[in-house]
Amino acid sequence: MSQSLPQRYGAVAQAGHWLTLLLVIGAFALGWIMSDMKMSPTRLKLFSYHKWIGVTIFGIAVLRLLWRQWAKAPPLPPTMPAWERIGAHLSHWGLYALLFAIPLSGWLMSSAKGFQTVYLGMFPIPDLVGRDRELGKLLQDVHELLTTILLFVVGLHATAALKHHFFNRDDVLTRMLPRWRKTGDAS
Amino acid sequence: MKLFTTAVLLSLATLSAQAAPRTVDTARSDISFSVKQMGVAVDGRFKRFEAQVSFDAAKPETSSAALSVDIASIDAGSDEADSTAAERAWLDKAGFPKATFKSSSVRATGPGKYEAKGLLTIKGKPREITVPFRAADQASGATLLSGQFSIRRTDFGVGGGEWNEGDLVSNDVPVKFKLLLAPAK
Ligand code: HEM
Repeated sequence: MSQSLPQRYGAVAQAGHWLTLLLVIGAFALGWIMSDMKMSPTRLKLFSYHKWIGVTIFGIAVLRLLWRQWAKAPPLPPTMPAWERIGAHLSHWGLYALLFAIPLSGWLMSSAKGFQTVYLGMFPIPDLVGRDRELGKLLQDVHELLTTILLFVVGLHATAALKHHFFNRDDVLTRMLPRWRKTGDAS
Repeated sequence: MKLFTTAVLLSLATLSAQAAPRTVDTARSDISFSVKQMGVAVDGRFKRFEAQVSFDAAKPETSSAALSVDIASIDAGSDEADSTAAERAWLDKAGFPKATFKSSSVRATGPGKYEAKGLLTIKGKPREITVPFRAADQASGATLLSGQFSIRRTDFGVGGGEWNEGDLVSNDVPVKFKLLLAPAK
């Protein structure tokens, strides 16, 4: 069985992973900056860019999950203790869940606040909920809370990857990296 | 005596030249608009306004309307959009608390269709506008006047300065209204 599983992440999975990281940093930074800005044309632009980036993250997350059904993820190192495996799986699925839930909360929040989301200024995404001030405020809190959780889980995720690389000296990090360096994989 | 009779007749004539005033049921009436920013339409409405309307479908020329909209009653969907709209660059609630419309003439343009000309004043700037509208008799005996027209916000100095750079915020602002007139007495 393990024979049929790949030892590394393929190019598509890697592209999806690192592109998501870049976009999440972008969405996070814009969200952070724009929410404290005073209303101006620049702010309205940032709001739109933020939404477009968020919708893109959502789309990429869907594609990544679909792709994962076809190109299976490499198995975790057999030396990993059970609690680490559980932790790794929980955080991976948690990250996917957040990559869905955060954009969804943002989209619903926008609708509740009376600003429809129009992807790239061209493709209107339907409003699932009507205008509702209280709901808008609630969803804003949800959106903020979820992004705070995301920040925390991403931190954990990255720390774990670095720990595997520098402490356990296994291939958990490098198999998500392009093979630009000859790492001389023994296997 | 002759003079008196003439005076009475004259005053009667002027009275009948004016359609009877109709009470406007503001709770069931609506004045709304839509502003496009970054390609996204944001709708808003005014919750408080006063309206004096006289309307006679048979003699539309005798009809008239005077409206006064309370800028502070704006509802653009979120606290933030409301407070932005109330700022000086936009509707300047503090400087110009009311926007008004006063008709100068009304005429029929087709069955159930009319057109009012008049002066729309926003931020103290009067502009002549033409408002097409329809009148529909309701089962209750009330009359529903409804219509829409478009204004250019820059004509009224709404949203100046940095807001007019590029076309981030559309200049054309469609306005819709529904006025429910109580049955004529
Ligand atoms: C993974 C994707 C996303 C991340 C990481 C993210 C992150 C953030 C962050 C950090 C904030 C600032 C929160 C605050 O301090 O109040 C924010 C605000 C906001 N986000 Fe997102 N966001 C994402 C997706 C989306 C999407 C898809 C939409 C809409 C379609 C959206 C709409 C908004 C709006 C409207 C605000 C501003 C709330 C306000 O101040 O009125 N976000 N986001």
